[in-house]
Amino acid sequence: MKNIFQSVRWRLLLWYSLILLGLITGLCLLAYRLASNDRTAQIDREIRNFQGTFFRSLFASRPLPKKDVPPTLDEIRERLRNPGDVSSFPPELHALFEGGTGGNYLACWDSDGSPLFISANAPEGLARPVLTKDNETQYVSRDNYREHHRTNPSGVSSIIGREISEEQGDLLRFSLLLALGGGAVWLAGLGGGWWLAGRALKPIDTIGRTASRIAAGNLDERIEIANTDNELDRLGRVLNDTFDRLSTAIERQKRFTADASHELRTPVTIILSETQRALKREREPEQYREILGTCRTAAERMRALVESLLVLARQDLPANDSRHVPCDLAEIANGVADLLQPLADEHSTTIARELAPSPINGDSHSLAMVVQNLLSNSLIHPPAGGVVKLKTFASSEGYALEVSDNGPGIAAEHLPRLFDRFYRADSSRNQTNGHSGLGLAIAKTIVEAHGGKIEVTSAPDAGTVFRVIFPRPQ
Amino acid sequence: MRLLVIEDDPLLLHSLSEGLREEQYAVDTAADGTEGLAKATDSNYDAIVLDGMLPGFDGWELLLRLRREKSTPVLMLTARDAVPDRIRGLDAGADDYLTKPFDFEELLARLRALIRRSSGTGSNLLELGEIVVDTAARLVMRDGDMVPLTPREYGLVEYLALHRGSVVSRTELYEHLFDENDDTLSNLLDVHVSNVRKKLGPSFISTRRGHGYSIE
Repeated sequence: MKNIFQSVRWRLLLWYSLILLGLITGLCLLAYRLASNDRTAQIDREIRNFQGTFFRSLFASRPLPKKDVPPTLDEIRERLRNPGDVSSFPPELHALFEGGTGGNYLACWDSDGSPLFISANAPEGLARPVLTKDNETQYVSRDNYREHHRTNPSGVSSIIGREISEEQGDLLRFSLLLALGGGAVWLAGLGGGWWLAGRALKPIDTIGRTASRIAAGNLDERIEIANTDNELDRLGRVLNDTFDRLSTAIERQKRFTADASHELRTPVTIILSETQRALKREREPEQYREILGTCRTAAERMRALVESLLVLARQDLPANDSRHVPCDLAEIANGVADLLQPLADEHSTTIARELAPSPINGDSHSLAMVVQNLLSNSLIHPPAGGVVKLKTFASSEGYALEVSDNGPGIAAEHLPRLFDRFYRADSSRNQTNGHSGLGLAIAKTIVEAHGGKIEVTSAPDAGTVFRVIFPRPQ
Repeated sequence: MRLLVIEDDPLLLHSLSEGLREEQYAVDTAADGTEGLAKATDSNYDAIVLDGMLPGFDGWELLLRLRREKSTPVLMLTARDAVPDRIRGLDAGADDYLTKPFDFEELLARLRALIRRSSGTGSNLLELGEIVVDTAARLVMRDGDMVPLTPREYGLVEYLALHRGSVVSRTELYEHLFDENDDTLSNLLDVHVSNVRKKLGPSFISTRRGHGYSIE
């Protein structure tokens, strides 16, 4: 039961049924009230007509001497006490004298309370009306009778009534019909509501099921979207976009983990294979030395990789601006160029510096790493004997750092993936120079953490240009 | 037994080839796909150890090309251990699969098994009358006593024993017992054969003049 009331469909239906029930009940009550009022008004009209007929008939058979003058109160009293013969009255008034039940009845009392005329068909126990004010008339419903009570200023009072059980029966049947009809409409409404709620919730159900399949690991699945622009389609599109971004992020993460473990596996294999080989038999010290040297190289490679991974992991953390302080890009670049001068000498490459002051906000240690990665790439990869230009300058977007070489360039197919982690343009895993394939990825991550951007342009035989642009300090 | 190791990492290539040489295999090496494929198609190796990630073209591509010409047993050695990679390797024609980092002893055992299977033998023990060759321990026993053989002599006996009953040419023996760096003097083989005959009996290896040698 708990589940049923947690279901949106059931709750919608519950609210809907309550509202519908209220509306239908209100409508039925109104209809009943109108019908009942209408009926009562009709009965009252009939009672008034009857009263008129009776008093006219009282004087019709035996006219008064003065025809044009209204009868005096005494004349009326006299006539009431002695209405005359039944036959002188119209047939519809005969019941007043002959008795029986049903139809209209009539009773009049004098001002002292003595009855003037009480019709034969009047119900038992009919008493003189007690009215608080003189000259007052009022309609009263009493059991299954409807009566007109009246007292005129002289104190003569009258009751003209009518049995209304037939009309009451009619009204009861009418109210039963209303209740039945209302109930039927309510049930039909419930059915329609259930269907509508189901129909409205079906896309949500589909979205939910698709989403749970995606959550279960089926990352390629997407929510089907009809080509309309309703709320649910918009929701579907938003969710699909989210899933796209999520699955890209997960894919990237997976590839990164796979690549990282791949990069770590080779040095571990070397160390394992070398140590197992060494321990298999007694050897000359020279051989042990060689094997230990190989192990050290493999371990150093692992250390470099682990350090790079740590740098990346730190940079991937939410931006930590607290370490960002004003610094000069030109100064940092100059320092790194000094540091890498021996490497340049080794490759007989010249570093040409064109360093204009470029004040930015940043972490000078990370920024130095960017310059170092870019500069050492440009020193190592192109053939020896070239010139590497290291420039800092103010550009329209901020301050730029440019490292360009005059080497053979990088093939266009490699450019889009150059900043991917572990991507190597030459695909040779000759790692003896200690390059992990993470240098450019680290540079990109650091630059982006500083709100900057990094780009590369390269043309065959025209060299490669790496350009980093940092925003101006606020 | 002669092996080809194709691996792009110079340190690992050195370590593997040295380790295998110490196990008395003749080992050739290649550092990329192109060189590896050329060597693998040119010579008849007893087994090839192939790394999956190679410059030039990768191990899977190399396997597909190699299988058009040769059915040399191939043991793939890769850092990728995802099931699809393994399936891809085996479907491309690899006979076995080993994930880095691996145990060197396991590599040796798998290589022995590969070579054994390709010569149609099921057991590590080859029984030739009173002489038993144990390919796992690399020993030759005669009536339960170990006969001391040099690694080259053992290699000769093992190769002939694995191809028991058929005549093995001198060229084939040279191809499988010596690697590309060995100075293959033409009479070196005769010296080994005569030494084996001295140790295991003159009729153990029979000579088919003009054809080669065989063990009955």
